Amino acid sequence: MPGKDFLALMLKAGFHRVALVRYTGFKSSPYTEGALFYGEKLAAGQARDDLASQTEPAPTPPKEAACEPGGT
Amino acid sequence: MSEEMTEPEICQVRQGIRQKYDRVAAAGAGGCFQYPTGKAGMDLQGYPPEVIGDFPPEVLATFCGVGNPFSLGPLNPGEAVLDIGCGAGVDSLVAGHLVGAGGRVVGLDVTPAMIERARAHQARLGLANVTFQVGEAEALPFPDHDFDAVISNGVFNLTLNKEKALKETHRVLKPGGRLLLADMVLMAALPPDRAGRVENWFQ
Repeated sequence: MPGKDFLALMLKAGFHRVALVRYTGFKSSPYTEGALFYGEKLAAGQARDDLASQTEPAPTPPKEAACEPGGT
Repeated sequence: MSEEMTEPEICQVRQGIRQKYDRVAAAGAGGCFQYPTGKAGMDLQGYPPEVIGDFPPEVLATFCGVGNPFSLGPLNPGEAVLDIGCGAGVDSLVAGHLVGAGGRVVGLDVTPAMIERARAHQARLGLANVTFQVGEAEALPFPDHDFDAVISNGVFNLTLNKEKALKETHRVLKPGGRLLLADMVLMAALPPDRAGRVENWFQ
């Protein structure tokens, strides 16, 4: 699932202040990369903040952390 | 994609996930993933050395997370934390250190072999505030408003009903609770053939 779709699901589930904070550089396939998401459950009396950072960060450039396929 | 999958494909995904993580539970994460695992992976993701420095090598060797959820914000002393898809328990044990003796951490995983391994790691480290149990992200066995924070690392992408898993996560969080999540996301279109799409689910 693309990150923006996952963020939409987080909002639908009731979270606010959702964000795809950054990519991790770890790739499990040619199609997928690790990403870090944050979200909060509304506190009592708190207003929703759906306009918090929902924009996606730039993909992580290739680096040593990403192994060749078949590696560990 | 789950709506598009046939029942045999869903079974294939579940069986593939179970077999893969049974192998990890038995032999560690090395060679099972296309990214760095074990201590090397934790170091690259910036896990706190003052915490994992106390962990035995055989515990660190089972780490197969895709990122560092602890980098998203602090876990505070005394807090209650749920680790969804805890695997062999490395992140749960890190959380146990961070919340201290006055806090509690529950690690949840669908693979019984992983829970056995996690309990062995917990016993080895003697962290009495960390427990483990078998369970699914889509049906969390906890009451409403039970946790201050939920962490998860490389798990939601494996669930067949992500919306349900997220709603369950939201349900068990206390008001004001935080979700600190590392997960795999799609960066490019999946292969057009259905077999490739199914296999990619548990790579």
